Amino acid sequence: MAAPVVDSGRSLTMARAGREAVIAAMRANPDIFVIGEDLGGVFGTTVGMADEFGSQRIVDTPISETGFIGIATGAAMAGMHPIIEIAFVDFIGVCYNQIVNFAAKTHYMSGGQFKVPMTMMIGYGGGYCDAAQHSQTLIATLAHMPGIKVITPADAYDAKGLMASCLADDNLCVWMVHKAIWGLGWLGLPIKTALATVPEEDYKVPFGKARIWREGKDVTLVGYGITVHHSLAAADKLAAEGISAEVLDLRTIVPMDRDAVFKSVSKTGHLVVADEDYMNCGVTAEVLASIAERDPRVLQAPAVRVANPDVPIPFSRPMENFALPDADKIVAAAKKTLGKA
Amino acid sequence: MTDVVVPQDLWDTEDEGVLLTWVYSDGAVVQQGKLIAEIMVEKAQLELEAPASGRLRILVQPDAVIKKGQVLAKIESA
Repeated sequence: MAAPVVDSGRSLTMARAGREAVIAAMRANPDIFVIGEDLGGVFGTTVGMADEFGSQRIVDTPISETGFIGIATGAAMAGMHPIIEIAFVDFIGVCYNQIVNFAAKTHYMSGGQFKVPMTMMIGYGGGYCDAAQHSQTLIATLAHMPGIKVITPADAYDAKGLMASCLADDNLCVWMVHKAIWGLGWLGLPIKTALATVPEEDYKVPFGKARIWREGKDVTLVGYGITVHHSLAAADKLAAEGISAEVLDLRTIVPMDRDAVFKSVSKTGHLVVADEDYMNCGVTAEVLASIAERDPRVLQAPAVRVANPDVPIPFSRPMENFALPDADKIVAAAKKTLGKA
Repeated sequence: MTDVVVPQDLWDTEDEGVLLTWVYSDGAVVQQGKLIAEIMVEKAQLELEAPASGRLRILVQPDAVIKKGQVLAKIESA
């Protein structure tokens, strides 16, 4: 008798996993629509969706971020759930007022009378010689602002589950994926650790719950997005030298799972935080504050931050490599806090 | 046994493509019509569907340059 034919072990890219969540939510909820410029063109998340959902729900606009984010905010206030695609976070500045003063604040300023459920899909990050205006992370810039949930999946399973949570949320969520782990062919092969087995059925990954990718006892490596993958590579290298590193993925920057960070650092006594964003007033500092404000005595040595050293991201390959975090810089940071440098 | 062939009409030009990723690992059981691989041609990402149901036997690995008509894998009857 032949074995039953079943799907087994689907390994998806983050792009495809996120797209699955969008399609499932749009099929289930007619109030969800997508609006943006050059939809599907850069990252392919929405490519072909107009065939199924039509141009009323897949709205391709001119290059007019302030306009379409304003339209989306109004639609959200009226009960819709818009999804907005911004290919590069670098250009968030042109529509920052609509985001921070309208989309993020209306729920609060209306005393809860107007909810603003909307989801922004945004690409960020460098490492592929695209220079200072196409390589930024700018996550702290958004995380600083009340009223915005900042969602930063690191693999395909979380990309789908966190997107599903965004599309069920009553507030502005920005779902941000580093371009190098999204699974875009034009940026090279997908990073293997960002591919993941993704169930066909719908599921949600909750906000504010960190994920331990690898347990360890000597040092905690905290990251999100691409720095999770750098940290995993660093943990491999550290293991070869007899150092046991725990890799903690924040998963969402707002809300941040400070308890998980504190718990892990209480165990290891040592902390390295890696972030591709600018260091000054950034996520790395916020993670350190989570320890300092609660009980700095859990740290057996000063923590170390690995982030962009507050310079515009260089175009030249060697200079860009010098500026951005990587596994070797995290290894060096871990050895420094462990007094083994 | 069915060959998994790059369809002649998957893209319009005669450019070569690159195999980006297999959705299933070698030996997995796949269903006809489901996405099994992604291919890139000139920055566009294209989908390859299983031509039959059965056990996937991968012949070409990711990052390989591929052409239309090339056999990338075989599907054994499960």
